[in-house]
Amino acid sequence: MTSGAAFSGDDPRQLLSETYQLTRQVRRAQRATWFPLLVLAAVTFAAIPFHYAPYRLGACAATRLVRVCTAYPPALLVYWPTALVLAYVVIAAFYIRRSQARGVGTRVRPYVVAGIILALAMTGSLLWALYHPLAFSPDGPGGLFSALHSYPFAIGLALVVLSWAERNGALLALALGYSAVVLVTATLGPVGGHGWLGFPVQLVIPGSVLLLGGIGFLLAQRPWRRAA
Amino acid sequence: MTSHPTNGLDDIVHQRVRLGILTIAHEARRVEFSYLRDTLGLTAGNLSQHLGVLETAGLIAIEKGYAGKRARTWVSLTKAGQAALEDEIAQLKMLISRIEPTETSPS
Repeated sequence: MTSGAAFSGDDPRQLLSETYQLTRQVRRAQRATWFPLLVLAAVTFAAIPFHYAPYRLGACAATRLVRVCTAYPPALLVYWPTALVLAYVVIAAFYIRRSQARGVGTRVRPYVVAGIILALAMTGSLLWALYHPLAFSPDGPGGLFSALHSYPFAIGLALVVLSWAERNGALLALALGYSAVVLVTATLGPVGGHGWLGFPVQLVIPGSVLLLGGIGFLLAQRPWRRAA
Repeated sequence: MTSHPTNGLDDIVHQRVRLGILTIAHEARRVEFSYLRDTLGLTAGNLSQHLGVLETAGLIAIEKGYAGKRARTWVSLTKAGQAALEDEIAQLKMLISRIEPTETSPS
């Protein structure tokens, strides 16, 4: 490894294999998947009390058969975007600090930017939906719209971006599985008729997936061994 | 007439250590001197030599700065470096595809 002369005799297969090995080694050093998962699990669990805050009526609209009104706790519209933006800032700071300590940079910026944009876009979209009651109607496309229309789903989309940034297939699988869980549990809310129990289920199950995923990646990546 | 893949190899990139430097810099947005030294198992002087060759060729950019009181040297890949690395990998794959039928054929 100390020769300064131009390469002449190495086996190209060995050279290519060493290149791939180095690539894997750098990717392992860059990954800190456990940290965003644990932070986002905490943000999700901390949202539960806000779902029991007082509701404010949005708007009402009537179809030929039914009159639909929207209501949403204003505290949630403050909590989620604030908590998510803060969480992404903390995640960015963690990755930057870690990359400075290890001497190898990471491409975390697309994840952080995507996460913040999704959180803010979701807030704008929820505010819009609050004044367009038929968008949440359980009949027709409203059910799917409602399922896609949640902050936990925005977290899942941003995790797909992180899996690309980290070139992490296991995280991609987790992000897709998590998003599927969010879509399924979203049908357990008031729209699905489960009322009071619906909201905690919509948060406890996705939050648990993030928590377990975070613990799994923590055990797999074992950051304490690298720091030692 | 098609040229042999070895003719397409760039002597600057087609060197084990320099290929390693370019590979690491490609994966990391920026990589620190000490990470390269430790990962590639080089002495500081030897690594500096290779970095000098790559910088002169315009394949990497070197940035010096401080993290607290510690002096740091960061290396990043330039667009020319990215193209050179991709070309080298393509040439290596082509070489392997030419070698393998000969080697796997029964003697």
